[in-house]
Amino acid sequence: MSADSVAILTLVATLAVAVLRAAAPILLAALGGLISDLSGTINVALEGLMLIAAFFGVIASVHAVQWFPGLAQWIYPWIGCAVGLVAALGFTGLLAIFHLEFGADLIVAGIAINILAAGLTVFLLVALVGDKGSTAGLHSPALPSIQIPGLAGLPVLDTLLNGEGGAGHHVLVYVAFMSVALLALFLSRTRYGTWLRAVGENPQAALGAGIPVKRVRYVALLASGLLAGLGGIYLSMGYLTLFQADMTAGRGFLALAAVFLGARRPLGTLGASLLFGATGVLATQLGAFEMPTQIVYMIPPFVTICMLVFAGRSLAGSGRRPSARISNPTEPDTTTRSSA
Amino acid sequence: MTAIASNDTARLQHQRGIERWQLPLAVVAALVVGFVITAMVSDEPWRAYLALTTGALPDIRWSDAHGWEMRRWVRFGSVIEDAITLTFLGLAVAIPFRARQFSLGADGQMFLSALAAAAVSLYVGGPWFVVLPAAFAAAVLTGFAWGLVPGVLKARFGANEIVTTLMLNLIAVQFYRLVITQVMRDPTAGYLVTPVLPAAALLPGLLPRTNVTAMLFLVPVVVVAAGLLLSRTTIGYEVRTVGVAPAFARQVGMPVGRAVVMSMALGGAFAAFAGLHVSNALLKRLPVDLSPGMGFEGLVVALLARNDPKAVPVAAFLYAYLRTGAQAMERTTDVSREVVLVIQAFIILFIVSERLLPTLVPRKFARWLGRQPKGDA
Repeated sequence: MSADSVAILTLVATLAVAVLRAAAPILLAALGGLISDLSGTINVALEGLMLIAAFFGVIASVHAVQWFPGLAQWIYPWIGCAVGLVAALGFTGLLAIFHLEFGADLIVAGIAINILAAGLTVFLLVALVGDKGSTAGLHSPALPSIQIPGLAGLPVLDTLLNGEGGAGHHVLVYVAFMSVALLALFLSRTRYGTWLRAVGENPQAALGAGIPVKRVRYVALLASGLLAGLGGIYLSMGYLTLFQADMTAGRGFLALAAVFLGARRPLGTLGASLLFGATGVLATQLGAFEMPTQIVYMIPPFVTICMLVFAGRSLAGSGRRPSARISNPTEPDTTTRSSA
Repeated sequence: MTAIASNDTARLQHQRGIERWQLPLAVVAALVVGFVITAMVSDEPWRAYLALTTGALPDIRWSDAHGWEMRRWVRFGSVIEDAITLTFLGLAVAIPFRARQFSLGADGQMFLSALAAAAVSLYVGGPWFVVLPAAFAAAVLTGFAWGLVPGVLKARFGANEIVTTLMLNLIAVQFYRLVITQVMRDPTAGYLVTPVLPAAALLPGLLPRTNVTAMLFLVPVVVVAAGLLLSRTTIGYEVRTVGVAPAFARQVGMPVGRAVVMSMALGGAFAAFAGLHVSNALLKRLPVDLSPGMGFEGLVVALLARNDPKAVPVAAFLYAYLRTGAQAMERTTDVSREVVLVIQAFIILFIVSERLLPTLVPRKFARWLGRQPKGDA
């Protein structure tokens, strides 16, 4: 291999790494959205849950030093991670209880959780840190990266697996991409995965078959909160090492779109998340070429809409009239089916 | 759908009687939750809450030198300014809701309408009676068209309107920033902003030192128009029927798709008034970093008003009052104004929780989205 092609391949690998890193938080949240959507209770609060986990992760990892002095340094970020995830689970639990116990509309309640997260994180940021923008003054730690040794002789592979500086990928990047395989296996190979899909397809029939519908939905929602929380923690304890107000910047909503764009399948969701990650990277790269970044940021939502239209067209071709569908297509719509 | 028929009148009236009490109850309960959270971090929660609940009021004082004096008009003015924007956004969310369409697109519609109004104001010269109607027309057409898009996508292709409106919002906001950065930028300004709109395009002010303008007089007109649209027109009837009983609407041959499309497009037209209010009354020029998210506040207004146009201004005023009070609270105490977002979130949660406050908006929302509490009941 000539030096030139190695250089080009290394550049491609560098870009690929940037895409992986930008896609990871979207992917984690999108997988959460996928689980919740397949159970028939789509979690639109992904954005807010990411923020909650990102915030509590940073705060707890900083305060853990005071709470438990004398531990090894590497433990503190993991304490933060755990607290962030518990916080995300707590707020998901709030959403689940309001929907499943109190009959609150899932989407409206999800939006309420997003508003709650946006407000509460800034509110607590001011109260605890005294800054309205970020926790930059706190010097919060990051979760570790995993470096694969012995690749120094293979520059392209080294860049791909260990990143540009050779420091390795963040542990949650590995978690994100392994989750895709785990989730695919879970959905297709385990009894609980089958239950999950059954509950989403037809809750009445699932109930009739003896599946504990409510419990499945609780678990699905909580799992979505956990995954969204991991995405948020990656943002504040990996991608950056601080919390900023509204640092998710719409990634939770992109994740939601990735579920639909990926045709509600794990691999499709992976592809959609990579696409969203790639456009983010493209935007920063094009920023150097005086190309308006706004145009690049319009691409993912535009592609999403096109894909939804495309999906609708194939639906129309199969003889069903989508114009007759009034309720949310994510929901099994019994009225449409019985009258169509 | 059969539920309505089986309910006897007495029970409906009884429910309505309780409903009247439970809406304030949801607001009070949310305020209590907000207070508990405030008390956890603040040294002076009572003072903070006093500021939150009374900070927006004008101050009436007696002094020997000046007699009776009203102070703090600026603050009360900002309540009115905010309430006007929120009324229009509330209507923009409420109209599609009536057709059971979950359109979250008010944000994008508002951004593009504001842009259209500003562009017309800047580039179409002439006296006010030319510029202002042109700006209104441009804004309303833009809002209508941008609302039409998710409607058509839903009716024609079955595309989930929650996702499409969120995506269209992203596109609209980026387009807004693109145009301001590349085309409409004022090169003499130190930051990315359009030039100040010509005086002829601005709405005449009503209260000195505030941005309360003649737009205030337009609010009742638009609210009544929205009410009449729903109650007195064919399209309004179709929208309501599709929302309450989609199967029935289909069976009797109603143009269901058209009702869906029109509900969203009309919502966009109402969002356009909010956009014009922002550009030609409040800011008088459009900055690139106009913050998105107001559309979601239209959602809380629509929910508080139970999607009834008549009640929307009241809900908008209540929420604007709280927001302005929160700003007063932030200035005078150690509590930041974001607590009002927490309160807002809990207002929403309490209002839509059918079984928590059982007779509050019973079945309405379940029917409205076709989401009966599923399977688990």
